[in-house]
Parts: sequence; C-alpha cells; structure tokens
Amino acid sequence: MRRWWPGGLRARLLVAFVLVTVLGAAAAAWSSAGSAGRALVAAAERGVAEAVTGRIGAVAAELTHPPDQDALDRLRAAVGPGALATYGDLRSAAGTGTDLVTDALRSAVRTGDRLVTQRVAARDGVWLLVGTPIAVTAPDGARTPSGIEVYVARDLADVERQVDGLTAGAAGTAALALPPAVLLALAAARGVLRPVRELRDTARRLAAGDLGARTPPRGADELTELTATVNEMAGSLQASMAALQRMRADARRFAADVSHELRTPLSTLTAVVEVLAAATADVADADARESAQLAIAETQRLVELVEDLMEVSRLDAGTASLHLEDVDAAAAVRDCLRARGWLDRVELLAPDGVGLRVDRRRLDVVVANLVGNALQHGGPPVRVLVGALDDRVRIEVVDGGPGVPQHVRAHVFDRFAKGDPARTRTPGSGLGLAIARENARLHGGDIAVADPTAAGGEGARFVLLLPREQEDR
Amino acid sequence: MRRAAWVCAVAVLLAGCGVGPSGVLDGGPAPTGVAPGVTLYFLDADQRLQPQQRATDRLGTVSSGVSLLLTGPGPGSGLHTQIAPVATTRVEVTTAPGLLRLVVPLAASDVGPSGVDQIVCTALGVHVQGGGDRGTRVQIRFTLPAPGSDEPRTCPLTG
Repeated sequence: MRRWWPGGLRARLLVAFVLVTVLGAAAAAWSSAGSAGRALVAAAERGVAEAVTGRIGAVAAELTHPPDQDALDRLRAAVGPGALATYGDLRSAAGTGTDLVTDALRSAVRTGDRLVTQRVAARDGVWLLVGTPIAVTAPDGARTPSGIEVYVARDLADVERQVDGLTAGAAGTAALALPPAVLLALAAARGVLRPVRELRDTARRLAAGDLGARTPPRGADELTELTATVNEMAGSLQASMAALQRMRADARRFAADVSHELRTPLSTLTAVVEVLAAATADVADADARESAQLAIAETQRLVELVEDLMEVSRLDAGTASLHLEDVDAAAAVRDCLRARGWLDRVELLAPDGVGLRVDRRRLDVVVANLVGNALQHGGPPVRVLVGALDDRVRIEVVDGGPGVPQHVRAHVFDRFAKGDPARTRTPGSGLGLAIARENARLHGGDIAVADPTAAGGEGARFVLLLPREQEDR
Repeated sequence: MRRAAWVCAVAVLLAGCGVGPSGVLDGGPAPTGVAPGVTLYFLDADQRLQPQQRATDRLGTVSSGVSLLLTGPGPGSGLHTQIAPVATTRVEVTTAPGLLRLVVPLAASDVGPSGVDQIVCTALGVHVQGGGDRGTRVQIRFTLPAPGSDEPRTCPLTG
C-alpha cells in the first residue's frame, strides 16, 4: 500500500492538529445544528398539525353530517390550500400536493382515530403530509369515526432553508477553527523541530570531523536529555581522539629524536670505519678484511636507515619542503638511472617533451626506489615507461620477476613491509616504498601496484601518477 | 480499514444535515365536532332526564342547542320540560377555561330544579360533542337571579 500520509514531522503534526481540531469543532457544531434543525422541523410539524386540527374544529360543528359534496368542499376550503377531504366515495377538490399522500398514511388514517403526519421527499423538496379522520363524539364522550378524512400537504422548503442555514453556520464555525489549529500546529512543530534540527546539525559536524561541535541543551524535556547525551558522547569521543593524537605525536617525535640523536655518533662511526677499512686494506688476513668490509656495509645501511627515518619524520611532521621546477620527465628519469649506473640494465621508453613541474630530488628518490626494487626483487627485463595523460604524467616501472602476490599488495606501501616474510635480512630500510608514496602524495599524485604485465601473475608493475601542474602550496 | 471509518463518519455527518423523509408519526387526537344532529334533554313522566335527538343535520353551537331546548320538546314525544316558554330564545354563551357561561332570557323563577339540569346537560352535551372537555362546568345567568342560581354545575347524567 502506498503511503498516503505526509512524511515530514512538521507536516504530520500539522495534519494531526488540523484534523483533530476541525473534527472536534465540526462534531460540536454539527450536533448542535442537528438538534436545532430537528427542533425546527418538529415545531413546524406541530404547528401545521395544530392549525389543521383548529381549522377543522372550527367548522366541524356547522358541517352537515353525513356530508354532501358541498360540505366536503367547504371543509376543504376551511382547512386551506393543499387540502383534500373525503367521505366514502365522495371527494372534495384536491389541493396542491395531496397526490403525494402515501398508502401508509391513508391506512393509518382509515384504521386509527388519531391525527398522523409523515414527511415525504418530492421532486422539489420535502413535503409534510397530515392526515386525520374526523371523529363523532357522543354527549358522554365516546368517540366513533365519522368516515370523513382530511389530508393536507405542506411544502417544508422554508424549514429546509432554515436547517440548511444552520448547517452552513455550523460548517462556518468548524472552518473558523482551522487557522488557529494551523498556527498552533506550526508553533508546536517549531518547538519540537528546532532542537531536532540543531541536534542534526551538530551530528553532521561531528561526522565531518568537527569534534568540538555541541548543542546547548535548553528546557527539560526528552529532547534536552537526548541533546545532553549526544554532547557527552561527543565529549568522550573528542577526549579519546585527543589522547590518540597525542600518543601518535609522541611516537613520531620519539622516532625523530632517536634518528636525530643517532646521526652524530653514526657519522663518527662512519669516519672511524672508513679509517679502519683503509687500514685493513693491506692486511693479509682475509678474515679481518672481510669483517672490516662487513662493518662498513652495515654502517652504511645504518646511515641509510637513519636518513630514511628522518625523512619519514619530516614527512609525518609536515615539514618536508617542495622545491618545484619545470622538468622534462624523460630527462629526469634518464638522469636518475644514469646517476646510479642502471642505464644498461633498464629499458627506458619515454617520449621527449613530457614536461611536468615537480621537486626534482624527490622525483629522483621515487624513481630510484621503484627501479631499485625492480632490479633487486624482480627480474629482467626492467622497463620504465613514461606517458602523458590529460593533466597527469604516468611513470610505470615494470619487471619480469615473480610479481607482487595478491595478498601483499595492500601492504607493500606500509612502513617496514617486507615483500617476503622469510627474507628478513635484505638491503634497504623497509621504508623506501612508504617514502616514495609520501613523496608522490606530497605532489598531489600517488603510487599504486597495478595488475601484472604477464598472464599468470608474473611481473610487478608499479604506476606513479603525478599532476603536471602544481598548485602553489 | 481506517479509511472506511472516515467514510462512515463523513456519511453520518452529511446524513444528519437537512430534512429527510420519515415514517408515519402520531400527531395527536383527531379533530371532532361533526354530528347528524343535536341532543336535547327533556323530562319523562317520572321527572327523569331523557335525551332527545333532533335531526338538525349538524351539531351546531351550544347557543343554538340551548335555544332549541327552550322551544320545548314538541308534541307527541311524551316528554315535557320544566322551562317556562319564552318569547325570545336567544342564548349568549361565553367560554372560560373549564367553564361555560350561559346568559338565558329567563328569570330564575321560570325554571324548575330539573329545568336547570336540562339546560346544563344540553349545553355540556354540545360542548363535549364539539370536542370540549367533559369536566367543564356550566354557569347559568338568569335575568332575575335567585340566591345560588349562578353556581357552576355539572350534568347529573354524564358527570
């Protein structure tokens, strides 16, 4: 079934108020108009009946009995227009409306000794019919029917008009109740809906992240209780969010502090290890030489890790700065590969003249990371494809290795994520892809793992998208 | 279901308005007053009141009935009257609630005790036949009243 009532709270309140008020007013007005109307009709009928009785009584004593045609006509004339007098087969001239006389009325007159009335509906409205026998009274009061019957028809149009007037008045009274009902309903709806609307706005702001949003509670009804509860909820949410934020900030600051503190001893350590390496270069003992080289390699890894940590800290803290310049994408990628000596191991498919505006150093970091990963973890052939889209540049790094398993793809950009859990000791900090993605996002771009190049899940494909134009930030 | 209830309520409201047809209703007692003649009261040999029908074709008024009474029972009826013959038979009748006042062209001495009953019964008979109350009393004013002659009376036959 279709909903046929209005949906809004305001509209529902309005309809309910108006219905109740108007129905109440209409019922009261209708009942009073109805009883007044019935009284009017009854009075009119009584009046007609009494007039008929009176007029017949006034002339009856002078009527010849048994009556002849002349007597019946005189009787009819005395009763007035719309009358008919009969005696046996004798009938007076028929008055207007006497053709409406029903069989029920006629039989009631014939068999009874009382005056009877009946309202009948005619073509032009309701008529009142009065029928009465005329009794013969003995001197001792005994009554016997005389055989004379009188029928009278009266148009009730006047009474009908009066009753209609009463009804119209009642309808008008009921209609008068309508405007106050509407105003009351609007006022009530306003009182209920304003707190609801305020609460809704507050909830929206909370959902949008404005945890400081509150609704001032007013009054002492259920809606006020609800408002207070929502405020409490928002308060505890805000408090726990603030605690969480503080903890995260603390953790980040700790990482930044740690890496910063490590840098100075590490540079000393690097210098010492280099001296050690130079000193052991000529030592005949292969074990000592190998140990020294291991120390150098691990120290370099440590330095890289600390530098990556510091970069992550800067990116987290939002203090990383962008030095934007106009760059040719193909040239930038080629420079990056050339600087690392990868030009002979990597196939570069890049059209010239794809310009974009980026921080050259950060682009270099990203590309080096992606290509380095491909060379290290993937397999040949490693390809870098540069393409221009409408407003973005697409740099794709593809390799022919085993590819990135489906279940790992969601986590490859996480910090310290390892492509292969079994391979715990690998060169690299584990922050490379995380830093690459942060850098891409710093430019308003992103990096994603795309579907493998070859069927069967072989070959990893990382796609870097960067906008061509940077809005100033 | 709910809509049906509304329709019913509105229909009842509409039906209550205006004047509709009705069945046959009682409207009170039927009028009366027709009669083939008037009943006069005379006395028989035992001085008892006896009704005598006069075929006047109509009931007529109290005044005409009493006037007719004053003209006597007529010959051959075996009845007599205790009211002395008079030249004029004009009787004036005024009605008050529960009381008929007759002004007769007679002296109190012209009428015997049963003659008063004749007048009272005749007047009351016409009154009742014309639809009047049976408990009505009759007061007679004579041209020469006797003490107590204008007491309100009732007919010994009917009341």
